Amino acid sequence: MRRLGPLVLEPDPVPPPARVLGVSLFAIAGALLVAGGVFAAYGADPLVAYGVIVRGTFAGLREASEVVRRTIPLLLCGVGLALAFRAQFWNIGAEGQLLAGAVGATAVALFVPIPGPWVLVAMFAAGFAAGALWGLLPALLRLRLSVNEVLTTLMMNYIALYGVAWLIHGPWKGATQFGFAYTDAFPEAARLPLLAGTRVHWPTLAVGLVLAAALAFLLARTRLGFEVRVLGQNPTAGRYAGIDPARTLLAVVLLSAGAAGLAGVGEVAGVHHKLLDPGQVSLGYGYAAIVVAWLARGSPLAAVLTATLLGAIFTSGDVLKVALQMPFRVTDVFNGLILFFLIGSERLLAVRIRWAPAATAAVPAEPGVPGTPETGGGS
Amino acid sequence: MRRIYLVLALVLVAGLAAPGAAQQKLKAGFIYVGPIGDYGWTHAHDEGRRLAQQRLPWLETIYVESVPEGQVEPFIERMIQQGARVVFTTSFGFMDGTLAAARRYPNHIFAHASGFKRNRNMATYMADFYQVYYLNGLMAGALTKTGRTAYVGAFPIPEVKRHLNAFALGVRAVNPQATVHVRWIFEWFNPAAAKEATEALIAAGADVFAFTEDSPTVVQVAARRNLPSFGHYSPMQKFAPRHVVSGQLVHWDRIYIDFLSKVYAGRYTADNLADVDYWWLLAEKAVELGGEPGVPVNPVFRTALQAARVNTPDLGRISVYDLVMRRLAQMATPQMTFDPFTGPIRDRKGTLRAPAGKRLTVAELTSMEWAAPGVVGPWPKEP
Repeated sequence: MRRLGPLVLEPDPVPPPARVLGVSLFAIAGALLVAGGVFAAYGADPLVAYGVIVRGTFAGLREASEVVRRTIPLLLCGVGLALAFRAQFWNIGAEGQLLAGAVGATAVALFVPIPGPWVLVAMFAAGFAAGALWGLLPALLRLRLSVNEVLTTLMMNYIALYGVAWLIHGPWKGATQFGFAYTDAFPEAARLPLLAGTRVHWPTLAVGLVLAAALAFLLARTRLGFEVRVLGQNPTAGRYAGIDPARTLLAVVLLSAGAAGLAGVGEVAGVHHKLLDPGQVSLGYGYAAIVVAWLARGSPLAAVLTATLLGAIFTSGDVLKVALQMPFRVTDVFNGLILFFLIGSERLLAVRIRWAPAATAAVPAEPGVPGTPETGGGS
Repeated sequence: MRRIYLVLALVLVAGLAAPGAAQQKLKAGFIYVGPIGDYGWTHAHDEGRRLAQQRLPWLETIYVESVPEGQVEPFIERMIQQGARVVFTTSFGFMDGTLAAARRYPNHIFAHASGFKRNRNMATYMADFYQVYYLNGLMAGALTKTGRTAYVGAFPIPEVKRHLNAFALGVRAVNPQATVHVRWIFEWFNPAAAKEATEALIAAGADVFAFTEDSPTVVQVAARRNLPSFGHYSPMQKFAPRHVVSGQLVHWDRIYIDFLSKVYAGRYTADNLADVDYWWLLAEKAVELGGEPGVPVNPVFRTALQAARVNTPDLGRISVYDLVMRRLAQMATPQMTFDPFTGPIRDRKGTLRAPAGKRLTVAELTSMEWAAPGVVGPWPKEP
């Protein structure tokens, strides 16, 4: 507990939603203020810039649908990561798992003859399996040899990246692409339908929303979810309670990496209709999803909101580039500022601020509860 | 007080009049794949855009850089919302997205660089270097002492293969025993890989360098070993004034000014572009020979090139310097009385690619996969 004039700051590990919303809005306002300074330094009127962002991001169906399109891969990767983080498995490999999923879907689309509508189902299944497989190796290394998964999942990203590059330059290079490094285009049946009047590949969006709800249910209401939560909070206690950490962790990793694989399916089947340069398949979605899961505090449902927020941030950068003719470095600074403020403010969520005027302050200021260690009030 | 009203009224009138004047203007949008600050492709397109805007008083331009391939359609849409009537997309990977946008906006005009899909409101355009690479090859063949020239290639795609083959044909026209040693780096921009490739080629005995990569790295590494090279895409003579022999320069503004002028004059509409394909070379001045604008051959190398003499079927015995100038003049005429890809041409495996007297068509040039005689090294997808 700490005192600031008439205000008392108390630690509060479970913040109410109102405070989360308030602090987040405060952080975004702070970021916009600083970004306004950057805009002004660049020579653009900050107020005009804010107007452009709002109009270009939310004004109509067209604009909002672009935010949704950017949100889809962030959502799928984000909900999976949220689950993994709850189990204290630090999966930094969503980018590689996404690419693995894209490869799985491409293999089905181009090389497996499947009739009609089942193609897309098979592509999603193959993408999930490929993504899960990509997560399996780091999980086994952690379980058998206690290898730190932060490093292994990160390294697996580069293997996936070069693997995709090898495929498109080598065995999968398309015969109809004039020698450029793409696979052939997917047949019509292997392309995801779009929401009318937009470019939103809605099946992937639906999968993402259902997955978010299902994982939330799993965490809150099922035995596996309970085991995940116990192991995440106290592995030792979990083992005493008879929970098999290997089995639980494997289930978590397969779900998390598989979800990222589904995002890869959506990108190749809904946006590109071919496999192409890994830097074009994913615009860093697997890394941005770490922020999605972090801001969602491990809640798959909250990840729907935070993924949308990140989608909107990225889209507003695009809007600024065109409408105000800003160089991409300035819009990258803008995106970075918002993320910096959001993540930086996260620490403030764990602090409750109470109005306690001087009368109560007459009581000796030392924390009175015996036995509880001082956990420190915020910063 | 009354004066303020007067001023306000004037401002109001000016404000109303301004949109009327603006309607006379044509707004064009440019979508780039890389940052305009690179030293190659995107930088050159942006130079073209700025020159067009300077020359054409009725033109207004907007641009957006570093656009991912999957995002080209929304970016085109945003440009149209900003009032663009013509949109140029400058990367092969933008082809399908541009075509989709062209179908969605049938009254707007689109032009796509380096692709092959067109529509009634979508043209294609390209400024190609193969003739310039041939001229570079003639000089390289005369300057090599080891008989080994070198080429650092970006990607083994038809465009780069065509340029490499033209270079090799030029080398062999002057020096029938010489070879062209090739290394691929699989990146458009990667100075570290270009440096490594150049050093490996030097170690293999090569002593003249041409390349496709968006930085002056090859020029600088070769110059450090006192070896000559040819600049690529941007003026690179300034990076090694005593070692850059010549090079390839591009003038996208020639195409942009021509295309936009025809749109402004009403000759190009959203209905008649299905057959409009700019394939512009030396004759149209869309490309230029040299490491510096206006300097086709670095004077440092003039004596050496004049001293080297060669027999030609049509021009007799002639110095390499004069040969370069004659070939340049022949290709710069509208009739194009010379072209490097004129038969008989066999590839390095002996397959006949162009019968005697026949010129390769644009379609054959843009889908070229074979390797010219004298090329040494890996060649993915060799037929």
